[in-house]
Amino acid sequence: MASASVAAPSPAPKQEDGAPPEPPAVNRMDLLYEKCAEKPQGTVFFQRDLSNMQVAETMGELTTLLQELCDRHLMKLMTFDGEPCWKLRSKEEAQKLLRLTPDERLLYHHIDQVQSEGIWSKALRMRTNVTQQVLTKCLKSLESKDLVQSVMSVKFPNRKMYLLKHLRPSEDIAGGPWQSEGDFDTALIEAISGVVAQFIEQETCTKVPGNWNDYAPAHRIAAVAQKKAHVQRVRDIEDAPPVRPYRPPMHPHQTKVVHKNNPHYPTAASVAEWLNAKEVIKGKVVREADMDQLLEMMVLDGRLEKISGTNYRTVLSATDTKVFNGFVDAPCGNCPVFDLCGDEGDISARTCIYFGDWLATESEAV
Amino acid sequence: MSYSQRETPILAELCTFLVEHVYGELAARVFSVLARFGRQRLGDLSRASYLNGRQLKYGLVILIQQHLVFHSPADAKYMFYEIDWQHSYALVRCGKIAKLVEDRFGKKAANVVSNLLTLGHTRIADLKEAYFPSHTDSDDESDDGIVNGVGLRKGKANGTRLNGAVEKINGTANGKPTDDEDAKPATETLANGVNTSKATSNPVKVNGVSKETTDRDTTDGSEELDDGSIGSAEELHATIQLLMERGWVMKVEDAQYLSPGDLHDIARRQAADEIFGGIIPTGTKDKDKLAAGTQQHKRRIRDAWLEVPQACTRKRKAADTDYGASNKRVKVNGGYGVSGATSGNNEDDLVVRVNPEKIAVAMRTEQLVHLVEQRLGYTTARIYQIMLRMLESNLARCYEEYPDPPLADPEKAPDNGIDPRLLVTTRDVAKQTKDLDICEGLDPHAIAQITKRTHVEKRTNVLSQPIDPSTLSHDERVRIVHKHISLLSEDPFHFVTWHTRAGYSQWRIEFDEIMKGLIQHEIENTIASRKGALGVKLIRALRKKGKLDERQTCNTMMMSANDIRGIVNDLTVQGFVQTQEIPRVERREAKHSIHLIWYDRQRAREKLLHDTYKGMVRIMQRIAFEREKVQPLLAKAERSDVVGNEAKYLSKGELEALKKWKEVEEKLLLQLFREDDLVATLRDFIGPLVSV
Ligand code: SF4
Repeated sequence: MASASVAAPSPAPKQEDGAPPEPPAVNRMDLLYEKCAEKPQGTVFFQRDLSNMQVAETMGELTTLLQELCDRHLMKLMTFDGEPCWKLRSKEEAQKLLRLTPDERLLYHHIDQVQSEGIWSKALRMRTNVTQQVLTKCLKSLESKDLVQSVMSVKFPNRKMYLLKHLRPSEDIAGGPWQSEGDFDTALIEAISGVVAQFIEQETCTKVPGNWNDYAPAHRIAAVAQKKAHVQRVRDIEDAPPVRPYRPPMHPHQTKVVHKNNPHYPTAASVAEWLNAKEVIKGKVVREADMDQLLEMMVLDGRLEKISGTNYRTVLSATDTKVFNGFVDAPCGNCPVFDLCGDEGDISARTCIYFGDWLATESEAV
Repeated sequence: MSYSQRETPILAELCTFLVEHVYGELAARVFSVLARFGRQRLGDLSRASYLNGRQLKYGLVILIQQHLVFHSPADAKYMFYEIDWQHSYALVRCGKIAKLVEDRFGKKAANVVSNLLTLGHTRIADLKEAYFPSHTDSDDESDDGIVNGVGLRKGKANGTRLNGAVEKINGTANGKPTDDEDAKPATETLANGVNTSKATSNPVKVNGVSKETTDRDTTDGSEELDDGSIGSAEELHATIQLLMERGWVMKVEDAQYLSPGDLHDIARRQAADEIFGGIIPTGTKDKDKLAAGTQQHKRRIRDAWLEVPQACTRKRKAADTDYGASNKRVKVNGGYGVSGATSGNNEDDLVVRVNPEKIAVAMRTEQLVHLVEQRLGYTTARIYQIMLRMLESNLARCYEEYPDPPLADPEKAPDNGIDPRLLVTTRDVAKQTKDLDICEGLDPHAIAQITKRTHVEKRTNVLSQPIDPSTLSHDERVRIVHKHISLLSEDPFHFVTWHTRAGYSQWRIEFDEIMKGLIQHEIENTIASRKGALGVKLIRALRKKGKLDERQTCNTMMMSANDIRGIVNDLTVQGFVQTQEIPRVERREAKHSIHLIWYDRQRAREKLLHDTYKGMVRIMQRIAFEREKVQPLLAKAERSDVVGNEAKYLSKGELEALKKWKEVEEKLLLQLFREDDLVATLRDFIGPLVSV
């Protein structure tokens, strides 16, 4: 049983001074409920815990009380290692459950059993033996009453999994922290990869201002002249004219980003640790594997690059002008009718409007 | 050659355009017949071409001299002609080649090379004659001035020699020289070809042969072309010798005219003779041995072309002459009419040409440097350029075209280690960085750490004490250069690979791996331009993970299926993504099948190469169309009375139109050359890839 596995060891029996006053029988049930409700939510009670509360006088009475509570859906009977145990339900929930049809209740019971793992509708039908119609109807009604939810499984994308409304689907069906409702949470991924990218840039790159090494105040004109003088090639050493070393023109206010000297390249583990420490994502812990997935995706996105098996750094580009290549920078490389274009005919280089635009010349009219 | 020799209709079309553009209509007509019908005999050619015998032969002469066609060995029963696609395509590179040579060896060498390109393969004596005409038969020069005279005489000389060759091969033609009327337009077109392709590169002045100088009506072009011109015959020899030693220029030999099939047959026969005494073996093991021997012989034949002849290296000492002569006659005496060498000067009889494989090596260097500049900045790129160029003279070609067949057991392969000539040390690189601000492009902390004379201001990252790179000690220089090289090696492209500690640090360059990356990079560039970042992401995901179904694709890209379906479809249509359907049930219902998508780099490479050829054809067609529109105007502008007096004879509108046409042509040609860069990346730097 999934829930039982989280059962904490029973709390130490509480010894109360003196005998408590005898409450009336009806109220004993409420009293037991109240006592249980004092414990942290989700606590599992074994028989000895309940008897230690000293609400019921005898074992027999305790059993009746528990039976009563279960009938009213205020408690749920479970087993752990073959031993019976109980768990509390909220009053509202119990109210809702009271109004269920038997079929609905049966389904609810089965869905409840699987807890956060969820159950596939087909498996549910096999276990309960209801007809498809009843199944569909009941599940709908359960969903409308806010008792169960359905989630698309990540593992089997075409399976609808049902689980109780208040539970968070397990990672098996809902995926890691990046997914919600069985789909990738684009907004979250976008936000987190933004922070991660920033973090990695800090770790692996450094900003250098244009005047970082201002050894000879750069006259723009001098720089241009120098560039002209500079022969952009390496001749044989003997006849290389050693004028002043060429330096590209500087712009003091323009900062450049360069790779850091001796950086500590982050890994999935170190980024995950950093992210978790900052608690950027509420209530979720990002495991190393999750971070690995995210970083690998960012590599595909071209935001990061892999330096070795496990290390990442920021992708830098030294030039901002984006040219692609000779083919796609010409009209044909991006032409929608490329495959239809022929040596002659209505679509050809002579009649081509794209070439016409590109060259600002007239094309042949068709 | 086999890889680039595979032709497709689109390549045939492109090459026909190129031949027409450079050599005019006659050559193009012969070429297109060969392109359409494949391997042909002379008789078949004339039947298919509607050209008469003389025209046909004249066309063939041009094509042969430029190495655009193969033909059967001289002793074959029938002489077949076949197109050499690699060389034909390479016509588009002429302008680029001159620029590459100029960058490395200066203007003079560029001058020589562009003349070699214009003339096709050339006897050194003829080249010398083109530069320094001997005034013995100057009667036909009196009218046109020296330069023109050279052009004519050149045409005659080449024509004679080549016709001689054809005669020998065919045993039919009568060694008749082409008359001047034929030769003149041809020469002009040649020169034109060079001129137009120079549009992008720094113009390399062609001394004495090109139309450019002819037009200027100079008696001696060399006066105004200061350092670009060759001053003396010795200088010419020295330049050629340097180019030959570095592998840029090579000897012309018979075997270069063998089509891949013929070459294979010959190499195979040689291997059989050597290993099995002439009997073609039948056993599987022996067959493998023969195959390996064949490859080895092909390599041997090819490598012999690059040997620099003795006479050349020894500066023609008188004592050597006899030895050199006999030696050479054996080698060259294959049927190119050089047997009649009576000049007495052996070196002059050597026939040379530009080595296309070296051009590919140089183009590879340029592209790598360009890529590094984009990724790591100017200074690191220059340092990489130094490294690459140091290696260039030791690299005969980009990749081995005739590799030994892979061993059955790769473990047993002898570990030869790496050729020390392919290694570069940081120290040697540092020596060549004097004209470079090597501090640029690095983290200031690195500079501070190395020089110890300064520190980095915490907040601003500015050096407290600026470091003038010209004041760096040798040791500091080495260590700073090492920082740049480390950037190169850390980059995911792994531009260099650490080898040993020799010379501070010693590096090698694993070209094959980098080239695969470069091809991938271009494919991604193409997709990025067409489909944006999403398309690139998909391709990278598939490249990394192999075959994926939809859910796996979503997981890798961390996106929902709806967001990627569109792009998967688009890239499938464009041929970059492959699909596969694996039925899971007996009845093969699509609903129950597994649908996989994947990416095959080799296929994508071929598709893109093919499309790029097509793009180039469209550009050539557009150039033709644009020219057609201004044709009457061009004719007018070229009239002898108009040339030089344009302002007088042409209206303002006409001048505008001419200018516009020039711009348009230049823009189109520039794009054509950039497409050629892409072709080089996709085709010339590495053999076929086996992927997936
Ligand atoms: S010529 Fe024009 S229509 Fe034809 S493929 Fe190129 S851009 Fe498209």
